[in-house]
Amino acid sequence: MKTRFRPGSFFLSAYGWLFLTFIYVPILLIVVFSFNANPVNMMIWDGFTLDWYRTIFGFPTTLNEQTLYVESTAQLYSAVLNSLTVAFLTTLVSTIFGTAVALAVARFRFRLKSFYRALMFMPMIMPDIILGIALLIFFVSFGFSLGLQTIVIGHTTFLCSYVFVVVSARLADMDESLEEASADLGADGWTTFRRVTLPMIAPGVIGGAMLAFIISMDDLVITYFISGVDSTTLPVHIYGMLRRGIKPEINAIATIMLLSSFVIASIGLYLRARKK
Amino acid sequence: MTARFASLKARRALTLYGLLLTPTVFLAFFFLGPLSIMMVYTFLTPGLYGGVEWVFSHLNYGRILGWADTRYDQFDPVYISIFLRSVRLAATTVLTCLVICYPFAFWVARQPERWKNFFIFLITLPFFISLIVRLFAWVLILRPTGFLNQALLGMGVVAQPLDIIFTDMAVVIGMTYVFIPFMFLPLYSSIEKLDGSLIEASQDLGASPLQTFLRVVLPMTLPGIVGGSIIVFIPSLGNFIVPSLLGGARVVMIGNLIEQQFLSARNWPFGAALGMMVMAAVLLLLMIYVRILSREDKQAETQQPKEEETR
Repeated sequence: MKTRFRPGSFFLSAYGWLFLTFIYVPILLIVVFSFNANPVNMMIWDGFTLDWYRTIFGFPTTLNEQTLYVESTAQLYSAVLNSLTVAFLTTLVSTIFGTAVALAVARFRFRLKSFYRALMFMPMIMPDIILGIALLIFFVSFGFSLGLQTIVIGHTTFLCSYVFVVVSARLADMDESLEEASADLGADGWTTFRRVTLPMIAPGVIGGAMLAFIISMDDLVITYFISGVDSTTLPVHIYGMLRRGIKPEINAIATIMLLSSFVIASIGLYLRARKK
Repeated sequence: MTARFASLKARRALTLYGLLLTPTVFLAFFFLGPLSIMMVYTFLTPGLYGGVEWVFSHLNYGRILGWADTRYDQFDPVYISIFLRSVRLAATTVLTCLVICYPFAFWVARQPERWKNFFIFLITLPFFISLIVRLFAWVLILRPTGFLNQALLGMGVVAQPLDIIFTDMAVVIGMTYVFIPFMFLPLYSSIEKLDGSLIEASQDLGASPLQTFLRVVLPMTLPGIVGGSIIVFIPSLGNFIVPSLLGGARVVMIGNLIEQQFLSARNWPFGAALGMMVMAAVLLLLMIYVRILSREDKQAETQQPKEEETR
């Protein structure tokens, strides 16, 4: 876009880099200070240490007992395990549901189509606190015991919308005549789906599934309301830790989470690049 | 032939039901169900020890909007004022995001293709990073003994640590930081579509840069501005995580109030009624948005023929 509308190209560039600094400096601070040996003030550099990482993995450290904080490594591990379990199950179910509805809306003619579009749109614009309290009221009044199963149900209600949107976009780009050709050549519905439709929408389905997985892993608000006492997920666990007090161990946990986010993001972008 | 066609049609109908049946049952039960029950709850009487009694009551809304159960308490406008404060903080967040992102989106749109994609990647990357981790970073920065104060004290800019955390400003900073990608993406997509020749035309016709911006650039990027503003406003309004970490006990938003009613005060009907306030605000906003959209469509329709004529 070459135009004469340039209110100071130099200042704009400087601003651009400043903006990126604003986005990335806070994240870098966590990483840097997770190696800080100062147990009293986390923000004054006092030499390099791996002690905070040793603490969260339960290895012996050079720290004395008083400066140690991690409540229980077992609790942290179970939170991670809960998060992964929930995210896998949620992703599986919501990918199936979201894809099925997307296929129905894109490839069939029926009267309630606009209703389904609205239904799939609603969870995305619903403030998460509303969905959280509504699910809590629902589960408690119908006698569900709160636990991993309620978290999976809760996440699925809004994550199938995300899958629906991603898969629908893919279906809209797709050439319908290929499916017609397959049918004309005598393939039955299932064969057409398996050999033509599915391979073509696969990138959309995978993209939707990854999005669902990431959002499920990260969801705090809805999980906060509907997780039982023994079934906290990682974000809820960390939120609890933060509310009890800021200690250096959290830096180390946060850094590990950052690292895994970067790995997941790069895998996703790699897959997307390969698709092209 | 017709029999075969009929059976084909029946099979297609069967496939459609197969696709829709389970998701429909699931969503009816676990999405529409909970929302309906929540609405019913707002009209019930809270039980003495948590829980509810199935007796109709309009006092949950009364407590918020202006009539109270005079046997127990006087009407307290505190709930309305907390709600209005939440609206104010959410609106400030939207405005801050907008002002920060707009020039940046412009800058990115003018980069060569490869850099463009790289910058978009850099902006979307934080979306993959856990929300709680990103907020934790700001707790570290804004605390009295935090990074910002250490830096300012070290440079001798201030003599006393600044009191930033647990203020409205800290909450706005936190929400802005977290929701920036939501604002950037819609803004960018409408700024990228901007037609450079129109800007040139405006300048050739003697408009000042400010006039060009206000009369050409701004109206053309309005869809992005409105879209971004709405998807930032919605999660900001009912937020309770950011105010509880960065606002402490001093900055209470409606989300914190709802959380308290559900998890400590255990007055669920009242909490649900507070939730309906958030919901009502969101619905109102979406209705306005749809109105604006349909009006713009109409304008576009009526303008098209005119442009043809003038050519």
